[in-house]
Amino acid sequence: MTIGRETKLLFQRKLLEFFRQPVWVVVGLATPLLYLALFSPLLTSLAGGAGFARGSILDVFVPGILVLMAFGAGMGAGWIAIWELNTGVIERLSVTPVSRFALLLGTVLRDVVTFIVPALLVILAAIPFGFDPHWAGIVVMLVLLSLVTAIVSAWSGALGILLGDIGSLASIVTGLQLPLTLLAGILLPLSLAPGWMVMLAHLDPLYYAVEAARDLSAGRLASATVAEGFGVLGALTVVTLWWATRVYRRALA
Amino acid sequence: MDTPGPDGYEPAVMTLIHPGEPAVETRVLSKSFGLGAKRIEAVRGVDITVQQGEIFGFLGPNGAGKTTTLRMLTTLIPIKAGQAFVAGVDVARRPREVRRRIGYVGQLGGADLAATGRESLILQGELYGASARQARDRANELIERLELSEFVDRIARTYSGGQRRRLEVALGIMHRPEVLFLDEPTTGLDPQNRANLWDQVRGLRAAGTTIFLTTHYLEEADALADRLAIIDKGRIVAEGTPGELKRKLAAATIVIEADLSPDELEALRAEVAVQPMVTAASLDGRTVRAEATDSAEALLAIATLLRSRRVPLKSIGLAQPSLDDVFLHETGRSLRDAGPVNGDGAR
Repeated sequence: MTIGRETKLLFQRKLLEFFRQPVWVVVGLATPLLYLALFSPLLTSLAGGAGFARGSILDVFVPGILVLMAFGAGMGAGWIAIWELNTGVIERLSVTPVSRFALLLGTVLRDVVTFIVPALLVILAAIPFGFDPHWAGIVVMLVLLSLVTAIVSAWSGALGILLGDIGSLASIVTGLQLPLTLLAGILLPLSLAPGWMVMLAHLDPLYYAVEAARDLSAGRLASATVAEGFGVLGALTVVTLWWATRVYRRALA
Repeated sequence: MDTPGPDGYEPAVMTLIHPGEPAVETRVLSKSFGLGAKRIEAVRGVDITVQQGEIFGFLGPNGAGKTTTLRMLTTLIPIKAGQAFVAGVDVARRPREVRRRIGYVGQLGGADLAATGRESLILQGELYGASARQARDRANELIERLELSEFVDRIARTYSGGQRRRLEVALGIMHRPEVLFLDEPTTGLDPQNRANLWDQVRGLRAAGTTIFLTTHYLEEADALADRLAIIDKGRIVAEGTPGELKRKLAAATIVIEADLSPDELEALRAEVAVQPMVTAASLDGRTVRAEATDSAEALLAIATLLRSRRVPLKSIGLAQPSLDDVFLHETGRSLRDAGPVNGDGAR
């Protein structure tokens, strides 16, 4: 059987599981909307100031929130992997001839969907408040940010299988989440940051995602920043998927 | 390629295995975990042969190496030392081909708790290459045969232990495997569900499936297995039909019941153990069991001993040996006392 069909079957199952958990759906939507409602008003007085030169505050802020959502959508994969290890689901699937890459990809694609749907909602919800997106740019941006979700999902899932323990997984994943998102300038642009922080930011893959996302949402599709974003995240996607497939193969023989 | 037979259990794939060739065969199969001082030899040179169409029991205490052996045979742990053939296929060289031919129900079960039983069955069939329609038909067939209809359309999270196990067995045979591996299939089931599962396993054998199961329950091995191997500390200590294994001991176990205090019983056991022809003696509650190479000689010597000590005897006789006696005879300990040892649950 082709990897394509296996992936489709596993993806459908994963999606079904997700939508049977109404809590996940609600939380997935509520968090970004809360950011919009309770954080963005704090920024209005900054409009026109340093870092917010162009247009509405939301033009800077919404792409950042979307990167945060892309990261968050992939994070849970490790928790689910550990749960499936403990209930024997992964073992049962390992004894079938199913490709290990398809097993990984089923989860990754599910996470991408659970990023894109709420992301569209947030974009629409932000428009009445002054967010002015460039639609072709938004489409390209969602493709770019789907790579972020795919990277985080594959990484978290493989880490879950390697560690097999929720406590250690949680401390690593959430421990990295804060510095990575802060350094990327997700909430406030890094143009406000001192030089050393900007230098550090260049080591953070999310920084490239945020910068490119802001350009794309403003309609600057052909910018060097966008090319850089796709270069960095594309390469990281390939490396992470390759590594995670290896982990699946090793652990599941 | 999916050609259900009249009873629906025939293997669907063209078989490579020739009539009379073993369904499972291992040669000095070995596995150790860890390095240096912490190295654990989980499986040490296991040679077993399972014939086509039989129920083969793999009996031993927890930690004896049963699960590790099973995980090697089912491609979950790579084979680095020794050889294994399943359904005629070299497991180390062609694990993917082995996976197509075997079914496996692990100790954890692996039912997908977020889905209904029917959804899981259909997905399982499709993952083995069946079309949606073929998988649906096969699921219906198993739902009827294994009597799952009452609960199969509910989310698996709501199932009782027995219902979950029945679904898991159905998942393991969706693709009509040539060999079905069951790891401690009845652990945690109540007696009724256990008997139910035994019947299902016998039904599968009647339809031609070879079954390889591990267990630490003596009753299970005795009642269910056509042939069995007893494993202890990673080595096979006995192999044969339950009858053969027991018959070897039949004339050789003497059972003494006496009205004595525990201390006195222990003293008696020690004395019995050094009688002529007696090789070992053990204490089981108020019963002293003596193993002897010549039961007549030993019985006379023990009777004389008992009389001279004026032991208040309740009964003395030759035992109907159990598989526990076989285990005791081969390892010097009772299976019931062997207890859990770490290292068998290794992933």
